[in-house]
Amino acid sequence: MRYILLDRVVELTPGERIVAEKALSLAEEYLADHFPTFPVLPGVLMLEGLVQAAAMLVRVTNGFRQSIVQLAEVRNVKYKSFVKPGRILRLEVTAKSLEEAVSSFVGTGGVDGQAAVEARFTLRHYNLAERNPAWAATDAEIVEAMRRRARLVGACQG
Amino acid sequence: MKGGRESTGRMRWIWIDRFEEFESGRRAVAIKNVSLTEEYLHDHFPGYPVMPPALLIEAMAQTGGILVGEARNFREKVILAKITQAVFYQEARPGDQLRLEAVLENLTDEAATIHGTIRCGAQHVADIKLMFSHIDKNRSGVEFPEENFVFDNGSFLSLLRAYRLGGDRTAGRSEARGG
Amino acid sequence: MAMSRAQICEKVRGTLVDALGVDEEEVTEDATLMGDLGAESIDFLDIVFRLEKAFGIKIPREELFPAENLLNNADYVNNGKLTAQGLARLKSQMPHVDFADFEQDPDLNKIPDLFRVKSIVKYIEGKVSAA
Repeated sequence: MRYILLDRVVELTPGERIVAEKALSLAEEYLADHFPTFPVLPGVLMLEGLVQAAAMLVRVTNGFRQSIVQLAEVRNVKYKSFVKPGRILRLEVTAKSLEEAVSSFVGTGGVDGQAAVEARFTLRHYNLAERNPAWAATDAEIVEAMRRRARLVGACQG
Repeated sequence: MKGGRESTGRMRWIWIDRFEEFESGRRAVAIKNVSLTEEYLHDHFPGYPVMPPALLIEAMAQTGGILVGEARNFREKVILAKITQAVFYQEARPGDQLRLEAVLENLTDEAATIHGTIRCGAQHVADIKLMFSHIDKNRSGVEFPEENFVFDNGSFLSLLRAYRLGGDRTAGRSEARGG
Repeated sequence: MAMSRAQICEKVRGTLVDALGVDEEEVTEDATLMGDLGAESIDFLDIVFRLEKAFGIKIPREELFPAENLLNNADYVNNGKLTAQGLARLKSQMPHVDFADFEQDPDLNKIPDLFRVKSIVKYIEGKVSAA
């Protein structure tokens, strides 16, 4: 699967909040297993949607200074309803704190106003070059890919 | 359109490869190999593949979900209801063989909790605490099909069957109970 | 094993922090579980499991949190409010809860406000001294 759980950014306030959407389509292959007679978005991918929205907020806020932005910890993720193909999952994430190396968030996801998921989580951000200067080129590759993704989903223009 | 389709090379939603240990109603140990042939690695991240923490959670949810389901002979629809906590210490990289241990802490008619640990060799990769809901007993207004869409698929049961037919296993239910 | 109220309170607060992912400061004695701390049905089960383990006791779920079968019963509920019968039933199931204010206007929507951190502490005190 393409591991992109954001299709469109609706709103973005640097350092504060992001609202994004993930459209679920029956064309997504993993749905054939989850579940064959009842295709629904896996809970962990709802969480990943929130995480990727938060990561996008981090990247834009921090000017893409870090290449790796990754989930460090998650608390109290609750699943409230199923997300079915043909529906849009609206992801709303608010930053509680957002610094160079760490950030923390509260997020909710819903379909047509009905809550599907809520979560509290923290991310860690860094550059591979911090571990080994030889990795700077890979950092640049990742940043370029993430800038491109940001443009694709409308998180920023440049 | 759907239902009972055999794998035809499309991407699967199976996040563990085999069981190494299975103590019915108590604990299970599953193995997940991380391989560059897995497509998602190429987006996460380009040039530096790491298994996403959310998918580590799913691997543990499947290990724990089968443990919980088997404890009631797969009669219940076992759904992940809550990730109480997950902490990620080390990155999981291609070539890693992850060992996922799920310990059943509570099991009632309505729900179950497991405490999971993921290791790679001597490295501690993650700690994951999950709650499952037996949704037939715990409706809260959400609609879903009558039949057991969670376990009817058969893929999860195949993993358990393979474990029971294989050579390396510790205590478990006898073959007569079925898998 | 005798436990002081303060010890029980601290353990209960720790349990709620773990189960609900909230910060310790949010878990004041007056905090409502559902309103202030965001607890829901699945969390009630989680809280019961953890309290049982923390205090070494058995907790029937309806003793600590409202049973859905009471709230859905026509004998106990009328027009969005509890009947006298319903109120009596609820009080007998949950003697550790303070119903004084609620009795003035037994509106169903106000039931979540009844469940505060201090009512759990009181419940545990009762169970632990009986054990």
